[in-house]
Amino acid sequence: MPPLMGIEFLCRVSDVLSDYLGGLNEDVIKDNFVIVYELLDEMIDNGFPLTTEPNILREMIAPPNIVSKVLSVVTGNSSNVSDTLPGATGSCIPWRAADPKYANNEVYVDLVEEMDAVINRDGALVKCEVYGEVRVNSHLSGLPDLTLSFANPSILDDVRFHPCVRFRPWESHQILSFVPPDGEFKLMSYRVKKLKSTPIYVKPQLSSDAGKCRVNVLVGIRNDHGKTIDSITLQFQLPPCILSADLTSNTGTVNILGNKTCSWSIGRIPKDKTPSLSGTLVLESELERLHVFPTFRVGFKIMGVALSGLQIDKLDLKTAPSRLYKGFRALTRAGEFEVRS
Amino acid sequence: MAPPAQSQRSQSPSQPSGKSEVSDLKHQLRQLAGSRAPGVDDSKRELFKKVISYMTIGIDVSSLFGEMVMCSATSDIVLKKMCYLYVGNYAKVNPDLALLTINFLQRDCHDEDPMIRGLALRSLCSLRVANLVEYLVGPLGSGLKDSNSYVRTVAVVGVLKLYHISASTCVDADFPSMLKHLMLNDSDTQIVANCLSALQEIWSAEASTSEEAAREREALISKPFIYYLLNRIKEFSEWAQCLVLELVTKYVPSDSSEIFDIMNLLEDRLQHANGAVVLATVKVFLQLTLSMTDVHQQVYERIKAPLLTLVSSGSPEQSYAVLSHLHLLVMRAPYVFSSDYKHFYCQYNEPSYVKRLKLEMLTAVANESNTYEIVTELCEYAANVDIPIARESIRAVGKIALQQYDVNAIVDRLLQFLEMEKDYVTAEALVLVKDLLRKYPQWSHDCIAVVGNISSKNVQEPKAKAALIWMLGEYSQDMQDAPYILESLVENWDEEHSAEVRLHLLTAVMKCFFKRPPETQSALGAALAAGIGDFHQDVHDRALFYYRILRYNVSVAERVVNPPKQAVSVFADTQSSEIKDRIFDEFNSLSVLYQKPSYMFTDKEHRGPLEFADELGNLSIGEAAHNVISSQRVEENDKDLLLTTAEKEETRGSSNNGSVYAVPYDSSTSVFASQTQIESAISNPTTAGHSQHASFGIDDLLGLGMPAVPDVASPPQLKLNTKAALDPNAFQQKWRQLPVALSQELSLSPQAVAALTVPQALLRHMQSHSIHCIASGGQSPNFKFFFFAQKYEEPSNYLVECIINTTSAKAQVKIKADNQSTSQAFSTLFELALSKFGTP
Repeated sequence: MPPLMGIEFLCRVSDVLSDYLGGLNEDVIKDNFVIVYELLDEMIDNGFPLTTEPNILREMIAPPNIVSKVLSVVTGNSSNVSDTLPGATGSCIPWRAADPKYANNEVYVDLVEEMDAVINRDGALVKCEVYGEVRVNSHLSGLPDLTLSFANPSILDDVRFHPCVRFRPWESHQILSFVPPDGEFKLMSYRVKKLKSTPIYVKPQLSSDAGKCRVNVLVGIRNDHGKTIDSITLQFQLPPCILSADLTSNTGTVNILGNKTCSWSIGRIPKDKTPSLSGTLVLESELERLHVFPTFRVGFKIMGVALSGLQIDKLDLKTAPSRLYKGFRALTRAGEFEVRS
Repeated sequence: MAPPAQSQRSQSPSQPSGKSEVSDLKHQLRQLAGSRAPGVDDSKRELFKKVISYMTIGIDVSSLFGEMVMCSATSDIVLKKMCYLYVGNYAKVNPDLALLTINFLQRDCHDEDPMIRGLALRSLCSLRVANLVEYLVGPLGSGLKDSNSYVRTVAVVGVLKLYHISASTCVDADFPSMLKHLMLNDSDTQIVANCLSALQEIWSAEASTSEEAAREREALISKPFIYYLLNRIKEFSEWAQCLVLELVTKYVPSDSSEIFDIMNLLEDRLQHANGAVVLATVKVFLQLTLSMTDVHQQVYERIKAPLLTLVSSGSPEQSYAVLSHLHLLVMRAPYVFSSDYKHFYCQYNEPSYVKRLKLEMLTAVANESNTYEIVTELCEYAANVDIPIARESIRAVGKIALQQYDVNAIVDRLLQFLEMEKDYVTAEALVLVKDLLRKYPQWSHDCIAVVGNISSKNVQEPKAKAALIWMLGEYSQDMQDAPYILESLVENWDEEHSAEVRLHLLTAVMKCFFKRPPETQSALGAALAAGIGDFHQDVHDRALFYYRILRYNVSVAERVVNPPKQAVSVFADTQSSEIKDRIFDEFNSLSVLYQKPSYMFTDKEHRGPLEFADELGNLSIGEAAHNVISSQRVEENDKDLLLTTAEKEETRGSSNNGSVYAVPYDSSTSVFASQTQIESAISNPTTAGHSQHASFGIDDLLGLGMPAVPDVASPPQLKLNTKAALDPNAFQQKWRQLPVALSQELSLSPQAVAALTVPQALLRHMQSHSIHCIASGGQSPNFKFFFFAQKYEEPSNYLVECIINTTSAKAQVKIKADNQSTSQAFSTLFELALSKFGTP
């Protein structure tokens, strides 16, 4: 059997379940086993996946949210299963429910990017790329046909689309043309390779002799995007050969957790000083010098900018309804951002 | 309905706990059963929930059966679903209950709500009770004709379930042909997909007995049907697309324009959000272009980016699965990925199974241009907190060193490892330095200087210790204190727990003795005495053998134990290329993840539903199975080793070059004879295989890690490069320039003719003999091939034009060669390879 089919399906099941139950753990499943059973029953039959589109499932089996509970009290209709079969099972656009109606027509587009970077021992940028997603949240009546175009689509290295995206317009003009599913979904994902710089720098220095190791880590902003960098954190695992550690910082807080993970949360970088972490590590008695070097994992968040430089040009709706509200946002996070020492 | 419930209670074997709760529930259910009060469904639901939760924790609630069924006479779907779950659970173990259920489910099958019709039908088919199949036929038949697509979808799967319960009932009711009709005519693609999956299973199972089913199965991969599916592919759900794509890989297009049409149609599938679809598409592309070398290369370029994205996005499990597939591709075309090596750099918090695979990838893609960066990166991992990964990465550095020509920088790095003062790093590095020296003896000077500084006391791991001792013996003339180190090791003989180390120690002392007799004499005596007194059979035997051969003639002993060595050119590959090809044919399946073809891990009856019996496949199973057996035999245990070597001796014939063990020795007991071979294998490392998975040491020394290919005929002296590469333009140019060196007509065996149904069959076979195809074409009975091969470690090419006519069983072969003098040798090789084609 195709291995990815299994893995993808399991991921989908877990997505759908957590979507329905607002989380996924043993207790939640025990509390809602009827829903879980109903969902599994529709999602797979005789070992072959059937309906996995959340929109359609939601029409077949209502999620156990507060709204539906309130509704059931008001209307007296206690069933959380709709009486009629979802129209979409027969519709030619399987990801879209039959005919939703909204008073306010809204569509939001978010660019969410994650930066993966590896900086090696010599401080050189070994690898830096951005994995991004275009997330769309649409509340549009009828069968809306949207087109989305980018100002600079050429920077995208590899793209993957939600099934709703038509391939030809993208192939010829790099325009995303699609009939969106209702609600929130991932329209496309992309990668931008070979970026030249990272927004922040981390400079660790470790020097050891005579059974002690001095640590000094500096963090700072490399090039200004004009946006503030938020929630900067730094984490690293102390090598097992270290007996004790005494680390302090001039900004933010340092915690050493039970499993020898040291975490330094900086938050925003202050204007007047460069955050630094310093201190000493005491090595095991027979060790002179440190041979195992920790890897620093960096976390940050920048609102309002997509570090890959990708920009949305415009979003159009064919057969525009009277009022349409369009919203755009961008966000970059650190993905696997690591600095080796 | 009540009485049967009564009798059930007495029958039910045990009610471990909750007896009173169960009877309480029973009472409450009975009260609610007839009630029509508003809100009654809610209280029923609560009760049903309780019943089911009891059921799931193992309390027997089968006594409530009657009440449950009575209460489920409602329009509430959730209640129905819970009831179906309950019924389905108990019907399997309790056929009497099942009979009761039938009635109730059959009634629901005629409900006006399509959802209930569907659910009831699904539950009915899921009962899986053999003696109730007669009740299934009716509802299934009407389900297939239902006006609602949901019910039809369920019914189609139901047919398959029925088939598995009772194949004859299913076939007699003519369900397969009804499914076929639906598959070709229904507008709902989910139904088409379900029919396809059901029919594949049914017809594959029937094909062995029914001619018609076999024909129908063939029809599934006929052009009109494939096109019917492909044209609608975008309408299918993502899972159904996987199914269709898998079917398309079995389809053989008639010409290249058709191949391009299909690929154009499917190209956008590579950008699908679902990784399973992407991988299935990749398989289609690869399979379609197998015979078109240029296009095949372009396909690699095209599929690269989507696959690499799949690796870096998604769960670690997904990364692992995709990486396994990439690994397979990289082995076939390392150069395609050589510029993307950075994608295989490990991330700190990836699980170690992903890291390990990435290290393998890095090893595989390393070439002249990127080695420096890769090795630098790998060296950083050596200081990793994760010790197993640190070890792996050192090993990877070593592997890269062994496959590169320019190892200058790498050797320095390895030697730095030795100075890192970490026991596991030192241990791994020692093993690698030893292997490196076997391949590049010219580095001995630099390495020995560093190795000499390592105290044998700091090395505890047997493999590393064995490697150190081997180096001490081998290079004792260059290491000042080698005899004394060996002597101290001999003194601690009793504390040495590993037989492998003791064996190495014996040999090393012997070698040292031949080089520096006065200093080693006493150590040798002590070692032989300790060895003869050793409780381990192999150690004892080897010590005794050394002792006797020394007594017989010292110079003969030296020729046996320490002859001049040739550098190992290639360490034997653990997996034959044939097996690799089998795995490639099973792309996008678990075979790739396990790195074994499916026949190695599945039972015969569980092979894939569409395993078409192609003769080539069967034949190669035979050969591969032989390999498996021989390698298992190798791993059995040390005691059998002597015997095994003797056996191998017979099969491998003169492949050991027959030079060393022709020692004149009259009292040649069997032990002796095989011991001689051990030594010859050691001393003649060209034949010693390096097995990656099996432990180094005995297996390795004996060269048994190498898959045994029975070579009855004397192997030609010419060695070919297994990874030869030649671009088509260069081929054409050469073909025009070079004169024909040899031209001959060969005849083919009947088996070969039978196996040659498509050109690809021969390509794979020849590739396993290091003869690569650059172009092929034709249809039965006339095939034309252009092959090329490269002499090992020399840029000397052989080009072959081979025209085969299967009706006359003749092959016209024209050979051209860069170096004319060796063309005769190559011709023999080619003839031999061709003659083996089709033989198991």
